[in-house]
Amino acid sequence: MLDALVDVIPLAIVAATPLLLAVQGELVVQRSGIINLGIEGMMLVAAMTAVLAAQTTKSVLLGFAGGIGGALLIALLFGVFVIALKTDQIVTGTAINFLAIGATSFVYRELQQGAIFVQAVPRPRVDYVLPLAWIAFPIILALFLWNTSLGLRLRASGENPEAVAPVARYRAIALMIEALLAGIGGAYLALVLSSGFAENMTAGRGFIALAIVIFGRWKLKGALLGTAIFGLAAALQYALQASARGVPYHLLLAFPYLVTLLILCGVAGKVRAPESLGR
Amino acid sequence: MPALRGVLAALAAILLLALSGAAFGHSPRELLSILFSGSVGSAFAFQNTLLKSVPLLLTGLSVVLAFRAGVWNIGGEGQFIVGALAALLASRYGAVAALLAAMLAGAAWSSLASLMRLWRNAPEVLTTILLNFIAIHLLGWCVNGPLREQAAMYPQTDLAAASLPRYAGVVIAVVAGVVAWWLLYRTKEGLRLRATGFNSSAAEWAGVNVRAQLARAMAISGAAAGLAGGIELLGVTHRLFERFASGYGYSGIAVALLAQLHPLATLASSFFFGALVTGAGELQRTANISSAVAVFGQAVVILVLLGFEHARRAR
Amino acid sequence: MRLTRITKTFGTHSNSTRAVDDVSLDLERGEILALVGENGAGKTTLMRIAAGELAADSGAVEDRGAVGFVHQHFLLVPELTIAENLALIDPRFRFATRRTLEREAAAVIASSGIELRDVSRRVAELSVGEKSKLELIKAIARRPSTLILDEPTSVLTPHESDELFRVMRTLAAGGTSIVFISHKLPEVLAVAQRVVVMRGGRIALETRSATAQDLALAMTQSPLPAHGERVRVRGALILEHANLQLHAHETVAIIGVAGNGQSELARTLRDRLPHAAHIPEDRTRDGVIAQMTIAENLALRDVKNADEIIQRYSIRAHGPRRPAGDLSGGNQQKVVLARELDAHPPVIVAAEPTRGLDLDATAFVHARLRDATASGAAVLLITSDLDEAFALADAMHVIYRGKLSERMTPEEASSRLANLMAGVE
Repeated sequence: MLDALVDVIPLAIVAATPLLLAVQGELVVQRSGIINLGIEGMMLVAAMTAVLAAQTTKSVLLGFAGGIGGALLIALLFGVFVIALKTDQIVTGTAINFLAIGATSFVYRELQQGAIFVQAVPRPRVDYVLPLAWIAFPIILALFLWNTSLGLRLRASGENPEAVAPVARYRAIALMIEALLAGIGGAYLALVLSSGFAENMTAGRGFIALAIVIFGRWKLKGALLGTAIFGLAAALQYALQASARGVPYHLLLAFPYLVTLLILCGVAGKVRAPESLGR
Repeated sequence: MPALRGVLAALAAILLLALSGAAFGHSPRELLSILFSGSVGSAFAFQNTLLKSVPLLLTGLSVVLAFRAGVWNIGGEGQFIVGALAALLASRYGAVAALLAAMLAGAAWSSLASLMRLWRNAPEVLTTILLNFIAIHLLGWCVNGPLREQAAMYPQTDLAAASLPRYAGVVIAVVAGVVAWWLLYRTKEGLRLRATGFNSSAAEWAGVNVRAQLARAMAISGAAAGLAGGIELLGVTHRLFERFASGYGYSGIAVALLAQLHPLATLASSFFFGALVTGAGELQRTANISSAVAVFGQAVVILVLLGFEHARRAR
Repeated sequence: MRLTRITKTFGTHSNSTRAVDDVSLDLERGEILALVGENGAGKTTLMRIAAGELAADSGAVEDRGAVGFVHQHFLLVPELTIAENLALIDPRFRFATRRTLEREAAAVIASSGIELRDVSRRVAELSVGEKSKLELIKAIARRPSTLILDEPTSVLTPHESDELFRVMRTLAAGGTSIVFISHKLPEVLAVAQRVVVMRGGRIALETRSATAQDLALAMTQSPLPAHGERVRVRGALILEHANLQLHAHETVAIIGVAGNGQSELARTLRDRLPHAAHIPEDRTRDGVIAQMTIAENLALRDVKNADEIIQRYSIRAHGPRRPAGDLSGGNQQKVVLARELDAHPPVIVAAEPTRGLDLDATAFVHARLRDATASGAAVLLITSDLDEAFALADAMHVIYRGKLSERMTPEEASSRLANLMAGVE
């Protein structure tokens, strides 16, 4: 079984890439003081717009751009409500998810009749996203958050909004960064990992990302570690399935959430969220 | 006026649905007529709507009770599942015992989140969502493993040992709505609960033990969602399978918000969303429009109401 | 800077306070001005207007220049380091490593003349005195022409206070105008060249030479009300807490300038005495629950006869089913009183019960409290209103920095009061 596990590690890393991008995006946003439950919906919309863009332009690059565009639209909607109208972040995020599921499923079915989603999706020859997600972005984001004045103010917005003004600007920037990352993640999911869009294809990755952000204590190293562990746990089920042991599969899937609950309870030391998260 | 806002939000949802349909070439009139006829246009449709409204009413009540106390219970989905599991296991002792077990299980599941908050300050917003996922996988394990049907053909359980008459759920749910209203507005406990939700520090000065109150509110909320699961099992599906919950828990949020957090109004708002879901099912069958538009409709309702609330606060 | 006829009113239509009432003040370059007065006298509001944080309702601010304001409540980000907090001042977009920030921070600190070591520490780890220093450094770094310090020494050790005064003198010598808000008279006399006393939103006294007694009297005002002989037989001892003793049939007042531990005391007593009546100090936040009806608010303590209460307490309301938030401040307080007192509790802890109320409402509250003691209750009155304290109390303590003085009779108190409250004794 250990062999099966080792074989599966590269697969796990690739499969966990959208998740990692979502984690990094949500990390930045939460550091600025906003909790975005709607990241699930953001990625889902990005997946759809990526496929639409790629199929109409026959270009993978434009497909990724489309994904980012879709995510930015959702970020705009969320931002207007949460930053400008100061509505409740939890309820708004939940509504965004509903919106995304409803809208993407609706559009998918409509366009299927026009045979759009049936065509083959252009695939990239080289996977640039993988090193970006696992190496470049973490470094860039870390430098940004800890070594630039903008990143400093962004972090301050999440701790003590009164000490930084205008908070709205930094939170909006954080949301845009998240949209960029989630857009790439959704596009990668649809164009590279799958061969197109499928209803509800993000399958809860957004919520797992929320859990990993906490697991990683709102730090980038923690994000990498957490995603790697979760990716491994998911890959483990492939390995176990191969040995025809379907039973622990479900418990294994529950394992990441259990661990996160334990982390939230401070089992492994104190967990300290950004002070103004959610307010 | 709160009722007006609710009606406007509901209308906005329908309107946007029609517009979206029009954007893809469907006739709005046809779309709306299918929605209508598919939900309340025939006796059969009406019955389906009614049956769909039952779990929505109860999960809606669950959210109402929690939000009224100022607690974030987003765990309706998980409490629904755990309630159904408990009902299945207790069904050998009769339907009443099964429903009681469902309520207890739902209350226990939500109280896990309370405990984590009280003991370790873990935010219930996240713990309740995480518990949802754990419950979903717990269900998956059960229907694939220890509770799998004898025939072992599908990932589902055998039939429950007890059952409810088909419309018993409607009666129970309506009664629950009235009980919730009475609890909130006619008892001291409800008074304290609402006080805690409005202004917990003032409530503390008025002698309310806020921490205990929050824990109780979570438990009652969980019980309602658990009951929803029990009724869905015993009255409608009669067995458990993997996608048993399919969003009833989360939809409860929309139901509660449309009802402006009033228990009696959830009777109406759950019916609206029940109709929307049923009508959307018909839309998918006859016009090949994804039934997920019902979920889209929920989102529009919530966002419109949030917008109204901001406008009201800003005044 | 010149402030001319500044007026500022807070609050809603039915419930307003004039925080600053037609105040004119000139600040001269290089001078150290002390602004003293009790809480609510208007000092902070006036200075916030001077700094441009608040807009005055009428009047003008001329020659403002750059103003540095060190607030009483820190505007620091606890999770960030000292260096990072200092970096927040700079509005430019920059890329800088941690080491660069620390170097720059050290330089800024050095040029301020204030001692603050190890800039890589997180602000959360600093002592309160160090945080206060950091706020000061932040304010000075911008090279302001006017520097306003709001109660800067309330959290400093004597050694740190001396350091602060040295810095103030240096800055003043360099031409900065310094306004030093405080209620600690010894310090004010030690460092200020001019003293302005505010009371009730107006300037009560402006002087270059005064004794502590003069200042204390100007702060706390009117001649103490004469009261006749009070022959009151004290009842049984009901409560003991620190050097506090409460007997039936008596009213004990705890007086002091707000911010000396009264809130903490009230909260401790609330948690210790669940069966006592508690009238919270912050009426707007902790009083009635605005969204619930009058009847519902009363019902929280099982008070059922709302109509009768409204009559008895002369509450001006349209009915018991109206939201309590619609009532004026005085009437809301009556609801709180009714809620707490109707059950004839043995102990009543009333914190600032008439703050912001008009004369009628105040008289009403006092009458109810007197009724309570007449029928056997013990009342603990926590207040900064001396008139009220002397009108009601059988015995007094002064609270200063969280500690209670020994128990005094009203006669003993009236001669020592001003000094005790200002920390002179």
